[in-house]
Amino acid sequence: MEDILITGTKDTYFTPSVNFNVESGVCELGGESYLEETVKFYDPLIKWVKDFGIIEKRALVFDFKLIYFNTSSSRCILSLLKELKSYKNRGGDVTVTWYHDPEDEDMMEEVEDFMEDANIEIDLVELED
Amino acid sequence: MSDNTSKSRFSLFDYRAKADQQNILVSYKGPFSGLILKDIGEYIAENLESNQQASKKLFKIFIELAQNISYYSAEKNRIGTKITKHRVGSVVIGELDTHYFMTTGNLVSNRSIEILSEKCDFINSLQREDLRKYKREQRNLDTSEFGGANIGLITVALTSNNPLEVMVSEVDESHSFFSLTVYINK
Repeated sequence: MEDILITGTKDTYFTPSVNFNVESGVCELGGESYLEETVKFYDPLIKWVKDFGIIEKRALVFDFKLIYFNTSSSRCILSLLKELKSYKNRGGDVTVTWYHDPEDEDMMEEVEDFMEDANIEIDLVELED
Repeated sequence: MSDNTSKSRFSLFDYRAKADQQNILVSYKGPFSGLILKDIGEYIAENLESNQQASKKLFKIFIELAQNISYYSAEKNRIGTKITKHRVGSVVIGELDTHYFMTTGNLVSNRSIEILSEKCDFINSLQREDLRKYKREQRNLDTSEFGGANIGLITVALTSNNPLEVMVSEVDESHSFFSLTVYINK
């Protein structure tokens, strides 16, 4: 398996930053997500998580540091969380943390809704400036 | 050469005066291309910095409504006889004492207008917790390519935390102008 490393950009669309590390099992998804082809961007990320659970079978630490995402992205993020949940269900050691701005109440609600929908525990940690 | 004024009755001055009167900060009509959306979005994000939460909400709402127009507006831009690929819509952003407001508008076929209005009425009828539940239901259901305008509208209502204001004006037997106003508390 290979690492995924994408530098976040704010161009016409917003590409989130991605850092999925095979060796450490630490994954980070941050920045802003508003893409022209959302599914095409997220599918490889979801597949990576799936493969990790099948091939590597080690602990996975997943850190979300997204500060903005649009509706289409939210659907893909949910699929990603469901994939993490499915690894967890098969006995995988999965820790999910969402770093958030404490003043952004909408984001906290979004995370709560993700937890409910994907049926997965997410630790909410305040993002430092 | 002698009588250019008769060619267009549109007075930009009158339009501007009216816009200023109503505290309009941004007003745009034309193709909703990615680049234009980006610029208006950035303008919102950068110029309302003093009120970060409101600016974030406005930006979020703008992206959802603008994307709906760029995917679903029944009108495409036309220059002479050439029809460009971008769909056409309008957006106005203004400031009141206690609120910001954003109105977007576009042509919708009369076939879809009723469904769209009913969706907005239904969203308005729900309390916040039920609306969140409805969003989750829709998100789990809908897998259309663009994510569907429905969940976008729900997100807009949740973000604004105010009722959606809908206005429909019939244009002809096949199309109506659909305009949606959203308020964001300061």
